[in-house]
Amino acid sequence: MSTPTTSITPGLTSFLKSLKTKPAEPAIELLISLLKRRQIRNSRPCAIATTELLLRVVGQYNGSDADGLLRRVREVGQRLINAQPREMVVGNIVRRVLGLVREVAKDNADDVSNTTPSGALSPQQEQDGLSHPQRPPLPSTISAFSPLKHGATQPVDIPMSENLSDSIELPSRPQLISSATSYAQGTMPMGNSLFGIFQQSDTPSPSMTPLATTGTITPRVPTAQDFTVGTNRSGGKINLKAEVIEGINELADELQQADDQIAGFAMDHIHANEMILIHSVSTTVQKFLLTVARKRKFTVIVAEGSPNDAEETHDTVLNGRRKVTDELEGEDRFKPLHAAGIETVVISDSQISAIMPRINTVILATHAVLANGALLAASGASIIATLAKAHRTPVYVLSPVYKLSPVYPFNDEELIEYGDPGNVVDFSDGYAVEHFEVMNPLYDYVPADLVTLYITNIGGHAPTYLYRIVADHYYKEDVQF
Amino acid sequence: MATPTSSQILPPKPSSSDFDIVATYRRLLASDPDLTMPIAAIEALVEALSHSSATTISETLTLLEHHTANLKRSISNPISLSAGTDLFRRYLYTTVQKPGATGDFQAIRNHLLSNGRQFVERTKAARDQIASFGRHFVRDGTTVLTNGGSRVVGALLRSAADASGGRTSIRFRVIYVLSPSTSSSSSSDKASTLEGEGAAIVSMLRSRGVPVATIPESAVAYSLPQVSMVIVGAEGVVESGGIISRLGTYQMGMLARAAGKPLYVVAESHKFVRLYPLGQYDLGIEQKVIEFKVIENGKEEVVETERGTPLVGGSARMLDEGVGMEDEVGKEEMEGVDEAVDFTPPELISGIITESGVLTPSAVSEELIKIWF
Repeated sequence: MSTPTTSITPGLTSFLKSLKTKPAEPAIELLISLLKRRQIRNSRPCAIATTELLLRVVGQYNGSDADGLLRRVREVGQRLINAQPREMVVGNIVRRVLGLVREVAKDNADDVSNTTPSGALSPQQEQDGLSHPQRPPLPSTISAFSPLKHGATQPVDIPMSENLSDSIELPSRPQLISSATSYAQGTMPMGNSLFGIFQQSDTPSPSMTPLATTGTITPRVPTAQDFTVGTNRSGGKINLKAEVIEGINELADELQQADDQIAGFAMDHIHANEMILIHSVSTTVQKFLLTVARKRKFTVIVAEGSPNDAEETHDTVLNGRRKVTDELEGEDRFKPLHAAGIETVVISDSQISAIMPRINTVILATHAVLANGALLAASGASIIATLAKAHRTPVYVLSPVYKLSPVYPFNDEELIEYGDPGNVVDFSDGYAVEHFEVMNPLYDYVPADLVTLYITNIGGHAPTYLYRIVADHYYKEDVQF
Repeated sequence: MATPTSSQILPPKPSSSDFDIVATYRRLLASDPDLTMPIAAIEALVEALSHSSATTISETLTLLEHHTANLKRSISNPISLSAGTDLFRRYLYTTVQKPGATGDFQAIRNHLLSNGRQFVERTKAARDQIASFGRHFVRDGTTVLTNGGSRVVGALLRSAADASGGRTSIRFRVIYVLSPSTSSSSSSDKASTLEGEGAAIVSMLRSRGVPVATIPESAVAYSLPQVSMVIVGAEGVVESGGIISRLGTYQMGMLARAAGKPLYVVAESHKFVRLYPLGQYDLGIEQKVIEFKVIENGKEEVVETERGTPLVGGSARMLDEGVGMEDEVGKEEMEGVDEAVDFTPPELISGIITESGVLTPSAVSEELIKIWF
């Protein structure tokens, strides 16, 4: 392995440090090996590492066309995903970046040829403030994926992240991107997906021209060529790269701010004197609770998440930070919950059932959220969600948008990662090691119908609505790349 | 619902243009076994358009409206085809209303006329796409429960079976719900074709080495413990995300939910229909599934239909004259339970597999809203 060891333990911090000096290729190798060795793990560090790496990759890309850049990012992404397929957030970030490239390329193409009427609303114009209602029709699942939605799918990513960064300080939640906005403008009747079968292939309709010959089968070919043509014409190398890099920086900002944004919705969901059940340890949940603690008194029951997270949970409850992780988490140092005036009770996972009748609200963190509204969370989450359902207790899941994966869980079992069995049975226990098979699944698959509400950095969404958020953030072409 | 009130004032036959839309529709359906009802309806309308000499937009729209009404009136279950006619109408409306396209009506007309065949091919391509997408649901060791003669389900299963020949060998089993008793007792061609389709899929799968079990509808609950997922087709996907499908799908959905098995619906997106049924008897069609009878003068007579109240029109007349509805003319008769449909509410559906991905039931309304408003 081409990893030159630094003095500190390899991890996110050392990776980010070395990224400053390393060219792209060794950096990719380094991240791959770190992922493989699980020295970078959990969603947020993986997301940060991937974003920074892709920033580097795009920065050092020498070509001039969007097509090539797409291919390059896709290739890097493929390697990262193969290194650690269960860190789904890596794939999400790669897809977001691919989406960025597509968008920038499309903007350039639009600027040059001015073919698409509604394409005139470029993300740049969008960025002036919170302009949700003015946004062009939001693509929904079908339409975003439909190639004929060419013009209308455009402003997916940039305005989104822009809005995010703008809306941090908003006291109330930002306007939901409701379906209403999707037809508010109604400028693109042709773009409606259900009309797919009528798609004109030989009429001189300007918005259709780029896709002329293809049906719904091969959307990638014409669009990619379209990009190439557009960018070449605008001589857009610097332009393209600069804009993509800007977009990736915004993405990095989003990663930084997501927790604060989610915490911004906290006051709506936790009320005075409530009993809140949380599970394991999560900085997102921690921030969420601390935000409310400034104004309200309530009780938090912490299920320790044994065996994998128990130690970390205890540390967090005691000191407000986890001990074992990377020192980058130093920035995530909090007051412990009890110091903020929250009455904190730690229970073991086996007592969840006993305490559930008294719980008002369950708040869960996630590892990844899937396209059908289900989620992966630290093992034990499924027990909690099932019990909560039985007691009609609302389950809120805090999940930044970057954890939302467009992957459809065809088989939920293969998404579960198995961890060190030594956490369950000590290796020194020779008899057990010899005679039993010890399993330690790290994650639980929680089906969508056990979740009441997802709270993301762009608002609260019902699980059935997540398909829309997915469609807003990823291009269909990138779902399987 | 389906028949607008305006249709009552229209003449019963499209004598205005001596073009028989109903016959065309039937001919199209019969000529191509792969044709779905909505697409056959669109095709028929396109043919109607080509037979007409209408030159203005409103003339054309009136003509189409008239044909649509006729078609809906003469087909006993127009839900599925109305998805096609509605789509066609909305397409025309939005196209002619599109800024810049107003003067170009002739171009639109020409486009429709010349590309009629292409629509069909696109829908077939959509089916293949669904198959290639839905194939991922069928994993090693799964047992799929399905029913009916849906071509999309057939395509999906075939695609999964074909994949098993190659590198990615999928070993799956299928439990196919066939109801041979009803179809054999019925003399109807249509019913036997429907069953024939199911049987064709069964033999197609068996010849590809996929173990298939056929069970009667009464064995669905019995077989469920072995089943990993239920995959069904649909005649129409309604606005709430529920589906209208062959009689028996609803109960399969309920049983699957009770057993904790996922129910996936496979349907092309042109089957989305703007209808919001609140229950089984709210579909706007007349079905002869539940008929309460008494014996009067030694003769069985229907006294009440499933809607609970004696219906106006047909059934009132029927009660008066003591004749069955079979005597009603000009209407294709519903073949009892063989052709009947039921409504599966969205909460029983885990996902709708369309050519553009797996949708949750709530995504359907959004798609429909977008073309209607």
